[in-house]
Parts: sequence; structure tokens; C-alpha cells
Amino acid sequence: MSTIIDVAESSKAHAIENEKAALISAPQRPGGWKKGISIMDFILRLGAIAASFGAAITMATSDQILPFFTQFFQFEASYDSFSTFQFFVIAMAFVGGYLVLSLPFSIVTIIRPHANGPRLFLIILDTVFFTLATASGASAAAIVYLAHNGNQDSNWLAICNQFGDFCAQTSGAVVSSFVAVVVLLLLIVMSSLALGKH
Amino acid sequence: MEKATFVELSEQKISNQNGKMKRGVAVIDFILRLIAIVATLASAIAMGTTDETLPFFTQFVRFRAKYDDLPALRLFVVASAIASGYLILSLPFSILHIIRSSAGMTRVILIILDTVMLASLTAGSSAAASIVYLAHKGNTKANWFAFCQQYNSFCERISGSMIGSFIAIPLFIILIILSALVLSRR
Repeated sequence: MSTIIDVAESSKAHAIENEKAALISAPQRPGGWKKGISIMDFILRLGAIAASFGAAITMATSDQILPFFTQFFQFEASYDSFSTFQFFVIAMAFVGGYLVLSLPFSIVTIIRPHANGPRLFLIILDTVFFTLATASGASAAAIVYLAHNGNQDSNWLAICNQFGDFCAQTSGAVVSSFVAVVVLLLLIVMSSLALGKH
Repeated sequence: MEKATFVELSEQKISNQNGKMKRGVAVIDFILRLIAIVATLASAIAMGTTDETLPFFTQFVRFRAKYDDLPALRLFVVASAIASGYLILSLPFSILHIIRSSAGMTRVILIILDTVMLASLTAGSSAAASIVYLAHKGNTKANWFAFCQQYNSFCERISGSMIGSFIAIPLFIILIILSALVLSRR
């Protein structure tokens, strides 16, 4: 009787140990297409960092002083004069900073393509900063459009006719921010695809 | 044998909890979509029906302000209308997710479309917001006059219609986050 119980208990303990060993040293499933998406994600993030920092720097260094002046007034245009542009510079700097800080999480998703936690974290934060980038880019675009075309009904003159360089630089900054926005959108779409399909 | 049944029971308990969580999230999703529909529709209508004519006029010029006169406000009306139309069309999908908690391709499609709509709504409302800000404050460096001082009710209307879109944008963000949460728990 006692022999039978001993054998049964030891085989049960052996079975439990086998299961534990199988769980701890589970073989990694091959990454497959999820790993490819993670690598694309990393590369796109690098591009978005360049685009957003480029937009912020281009806007911040846009400063033009016209070569003529009256006795009291010097004609100068800088991003400081428009609070929308100030918002644009700060917001783009934030977006660029976030993208730099999110690079480690992207690397984690490359190493472990089947882990859902980092991807979910990236989607949530990407969405928030995508909204911020879109908001700053669109509001700056509205001002740039006004500067190019003016508005007859409200008697707003198109200042681009006088401040050509300033206009060109701010327009370039807005375009660069739209590039960052599109890249962020692609990042969100790719992460959600990777989350949604086994 | 006993260990096997214990593992099966606990797995079933986890999947029951998962199903309840998905159903709860789907219900919240539906309610938030309804609120967002009301908000975007109200914004579009409030901005789209602006029309103010000042009571004085000269021989050649009649002072009148409509949302049409400013391209950014036109963009805002169009973007809000498209966003509310999309939300109405996505309600059946939301109801489908309540009935059948299928975390399949429909949720991924919904996330993608939600993000695109968030982009267009945010772009339209921030462009309109910068124009409304200019209307209130003007800009002395560029010699842009703040026309709010003359067109009072037009100004109030366009400022008030921004509120609807500023409610809808965080709702969109929460919708996307909720869908991503459900997708990540399978």
C-alpha cells in the first residue's frame, strides 16, 4: 500500500515539475511579420524624430528684418510675434522629445514581437502626441495660409509679399510637421494591426 | 486529474472575466460615440449657421460676416460634419461589438478609421481655433485687426462652436485607447 502511494506521489511531483519547466523555458515563437512591423516602426520613428525636430528648429530660427526702416519703426517678423507659432515650436519639441523617449519601447517590441504590453503603451502615447502634433501643425498652417493669401473680408493683408524669407521658412516648418503627423499615423496603424492579428 | 480540472476551471473564469470586460468596454464605446456625435454635429451647425450683418453701411460696402468668408472656418464645418457622419455610420459596428465580443478585424478597422477621423477633426478645429484667436486678439506686428470688436454675435458664435469639437477630440482619443485595450487582451 505505501509503495503504491509513494510511486503515485513521486510521479505527480514529476509531472508538476515538467509543467513548470515547460512554462519557464518556453521556446520563443518565430517573430515573423510582427518583427518586420516592429523594425519598420523603429525606422519610421527615427524619420519622425528628424521631421518634428526639423520643424521646431526651422520655425524657431525664422527671423527676418527688412532692410529699410522709418525713424520709429523697424520692420521685423519673427515667430515670436505670433502666439500660434510659439505654440507650434513648443509642441513640436515635445513631440520630438517623446519620440526619442519611445525608441527603447520600440526596440523592446523588436526583441519580443509577441508581447502586447509595450505595443499597447506605444499606441496610447502615440495617439496623444499625434493629436498634439496635428493640432499645432494645423493651427500654424492656418496662419501661414493667411500670411500667403490674406483675407479681404476682414481686411487682413498678406504679409508674405513683404517678408518673403520668413514666409518660406514658416511654410517649410509646417510641411515638415505634417510629415511627422503622417508618420505618427502610420505608426499607430501598424501597431494596431500587430496587436489585432495573431 | 484534479489539477487538470482546476486549471480548466480557472481558465474559464479568466475568459469569463475577459468577456465581461470586453462587453463593458463595448458599452462605454457606444455611449462615448453618441456623445461625440452630438458634440460634432452641434459644432458644425453652430458654425455653419453664422451670419451677421452690421446695421450700418456705406454706399458701396455692406458689412456682413459669414463662416464662408474665412477658409479655416469652412474647413472646420466640413471636418466636423464628416466626423459626425462617420460616427453615425460606425454606430452599427459598435452595437455589433456589444452583442458579439469579436476582437477581430472589425476592431482594427475601427481603430484605423477612428485615427484618421481624429486627424481631420483635430486639424480642422485647430485651424479654426487659431483664426478665432486672431479674431479676438488681432496681431499688431502683421497689422491684422481683431474683428471681434465689431462683429460681436458672429464672434461669440464661432468661439462657442469650438467647444463641441474640443469635447469630441478627447472622446476620440479615449475611443482609440479603449479599442487598443480590448485588442491587446486576447
